[in-house]
Amino acid sequence: MTVRHKIRQFFFPSLTSKFLIRVSLIALFAYLFFGYLCIPFTIQGISMEPTYHNGGVNFCWRLHYFFSEPKRHDVVTVRFAGSKVMLLKRVVAREGEEVEFRDGKLFVDCKEIVEPYVRYPCNWNLPPRQVEEDSIYVVGDNRSMPIENHHFGQASKKRIMGVPLW
Amino acid sequence: MVKIKYLLIGVLIVILGIVIAITVSPSEEKRVKKQFHLLSEWVSKSPDENTFTMLQRMKDIGTLFDANCELKVTDQSLSGTYTREEISTYAGSARSHVSQLELKFYDSDIAFPEKGVAKVTLTARLTGRSTAGEQMDETRELECLLRKIEKKWLFSQIEVIEVLKK
Repeated sequence: MTVRHKIRQFFFPSLTSKFLIRVSLIALFAYLFFGYLCIPFTIQGISMEPTYHNGGVNFCWRLHYFFSEPKRHDVVTVRFAGSKVMLLKRVVAREGEEVEFRDGKLFVDCKEIVEPYVRYPCNWNLPPRQVEEDSIYVVGDNRSMPIENHHFGQASKKRIMGVPLW
Repeated sequence: MVKIKYLLIGVLIVILGIVIAITVSPSEEKRVKKQFHLLSEWVSKSPDENTFTMLQRMKDIGTLFDANCELKVTDQSLSGTYTREEISTYAGSARSHVSQLELKFYDSDIAFPEKGVAKVTLTARLTGRSTAGEQMDETRELECLLRKIEKKWLFSQIEVIEVLKK
């Protein structure tokens, strides 16, 4: 078999039954993998700046919390609407914990939490509130905007889709 | 041989009849979906919409709702029960503040918990531009309850799902 023939065979393979089965299996695997296990998404918005930038591309790895629970400081994707719209947020408190913001600083159970990922100035004040059962408290890293304009709060654990791959 | 031939023709006619019946007479699910399609069409607004069309659409929107429809949203000032006429008026007023509007529904999940009641969970996306030139792009998960009244599926409850509770 000549090199030319090999190249031709690579780009224009013969439609044998073997080849068709292989293509079908690859297509099925890709559909299941990228449709249910590792879902591609684009980031829209600046609520996770500077950790994640507007327009960035990432994948939501759905098996991450299959055997474990979300921990504080984890970045998670929360199902917002349907199966396609997700929120990218950071876990700051877990069920039963009391969360509060004082002059832009995060307090959980009255202890100040060090958050190296928050780089922009923040002056938020939020009275203490307890995270309900089967819920987590999520906030974005960019807290430079007024508290009313930032989408954050308590989300049901059932809505956690997974984690970003990077 | 002739008998088999007639039998085959008979079976084919029956299959064809079933297929036509399914295609021509829409299922309850299709009827419910049609109401969302109409709502999307009538709420949407093109920049060149004239006054006559605007008034007609205001009237049309009201026909999709039950005599009293309950709206549940996070903003307590908007939550409450509205009459068909109030919905028409509010829709007209809201549409007058935008030069362009598009309402689209995705990922609809329809269930019939009891006879004459349809529970629909879906994603609604509202995009457009205000008369002041401000861009709008809002996505929310909705849970709607429709009741079958005089052979028509009418909206009787719309709830905007609160994913993050501050």
